[in-house]
Amino acid sequence: MALLDISRLKKTYGNGEIALKGVDVSVEAQEVVALLGLSGSGKSTLLRCVNRLVEPDSGQIVLDGVDITSLNKSSLRNARRNMGMIFQEFNLIDRLTVLENVLAGTLGVTGTLRGIFRAFHGDDIQRALELCERVGIIDHTRKRADQLSGGQRQRVGIARALMQHPKILLVDEPTSALDPKIGREVMDLLKSITKEAHIPMLVSVHDIVLAKNYSDRIVGLQGGEKIFDQPTASVEAEALDQIYHEASSQTAYSSD
Amino acid sequence: MTDYAIANPLREPKETFRRYAIFGLCAIIVLAVGKDIIIDKTDWERMGTLQEMIKTALFFVPEWSFFPKTVLPLLETLLIAIWGTILAVVVSVPIAYLAARNITPLPWITYPLGRGLIVLSRSTHEIIFALIYVSALGLGPLPGILALATRSVGFLAKTTAEAIENANPGPIEAIEATGANRVMVFCFGVIPQIDPILVGNVIFQLDINIRRASILGLVGGGGIGLMFAEVMQNLQYSRAGVIVVGITGMVVIGEFISNRIRQRLI
Repeated sequence: MALLDISRLKKTYGNGEIALKGVDVSVEAQEVVALLGLSGSGKSTLLRCVNRLVEPDSGQIVLDGVDITSLNKSSLRNARRNMGMIFQEFNLIDRLTVLENVLAGTLGVTGTLRGIFRAFHGDDIQRALELCERVGIIDHTRKRADQLSGGQRQRVGIARALMQHPKILLVDEPTSALDPKIGREVMDLLKSITKEAHIPMLVSVHDIVLAKNYSDRIVGLQGGEKIFDQPTASVEAEALDQIYHEASSQTAYSSD
Repeated sequence: MTDYAIANPLREPKETFRRYAIFGLCAIIVLAVGKDIIIDKTDWERMGTLQEMIKTALFFVPEWSFFPKTVLPLLETLLIAIWGTILAVVVSVPIAYLAARNITPLPWITYPLGRGLIVLSRSTHEIIFALIYVSALGLGPLPGILALATRSVGFLAKTTAEAIENANPGPIEAIEATGANRVMVFCFGVIPQIDPILVGNVIFQLDINIRRASILGLVGGGGIGLMFAEVMQNLQYSRAGVIVVGITGMVVIGEFISNRIRQRLI
């Protein structure tokens, strides 16, 4: 059985927008799966359903034998600790230092009082510094997060996610807010870290080149439906074209 | 059609008539009310001449030798303001948590509760709160402090709740995604985003509370107001003059300092 198994996942938003029409995706241990699709194809919704930042309407999500969809609030918090999430807009806390932002990754397992007073455990701080070193921001740990460049900020986001000792990384358009060169650096970093630490990754992208270069398998999404699901090496150009061809006839080619 | 499009719509006859009618009506109401409450209800006989008025005003020329005795009550007033504000901050943060639409725990129950408490606090004058607390706790600074705190909670909770609603949802979501509980999401994801606004508003509120604290004594709430009430009752107008100068000085200094701090924050 796969590490992450998503089956028949459906989601319709309150405004009537149908985001997912019953999607199946699975991620094997140590596999990098790219969700490829345009804005509005449902890839972000799919990612957010995995840790239930978005509540799915129906379907099942099983991570390492735990049925995420059936969990109550406190068990969900436990489950979320196993999933590191990385965001398009980094979602750092601007006014806190880089180190504090990385340490925020431990909040799920830190006592409430320690969390409130930011009194983190010594070994967590040690690990946070090691991760800062690994992702290349060790010189900036005392700076406020909003003083960093985009690429550096995403590195802080990566370190924060790794701080959780995640079983899987959920990565939502990690490079869309970055210029192409910095974006590739961030993807290189993500790929090498996931290989080193044997962490699988489910990553959404809208760029075919990124999907091809950095994934083991590509899942194509369009209008909330899965249109292909193949090992990256064997994905045909036609399948990829289909996503973009369809797009040119739609109006949904909007902001990202 | 084209004529109407070119012509100034304000000049359209019907519209002009309506404007004048509304203006005229307002003017009549203001004048009628003015005549009733100012001209009819003032005791013109007792007012006396301009000379006599100036003579009365001169009673208030400060008697400076009284000044040292006002220092302690002025200080007490300042402390009442500070304590009232601190207490209000402590109470307002949890109320803001309830009254912020995006993070309130049970939207159908806690949101109206939070908003209700804010309205309750904001709609009542501090003197009324002071009267209530004085009758419950007796005379002294404590009821004054509580009155100010009760009055200030509304403003602070309202502005804090609004700041929370305007906070960037991204970082909040990121903290939720780590599996942190509600309290930590609030302390890590929300508070750092709003604390500059919060501190600015607290200082602004303190500035206002110094002014409010100076009148609480009139109803037994302690501070300089109590001394002011006493000297007025004893017809010691020149001492009242000293107190007025003292209050003004304190308020001006308070405002100066609070402006400085808030500028530095922004």
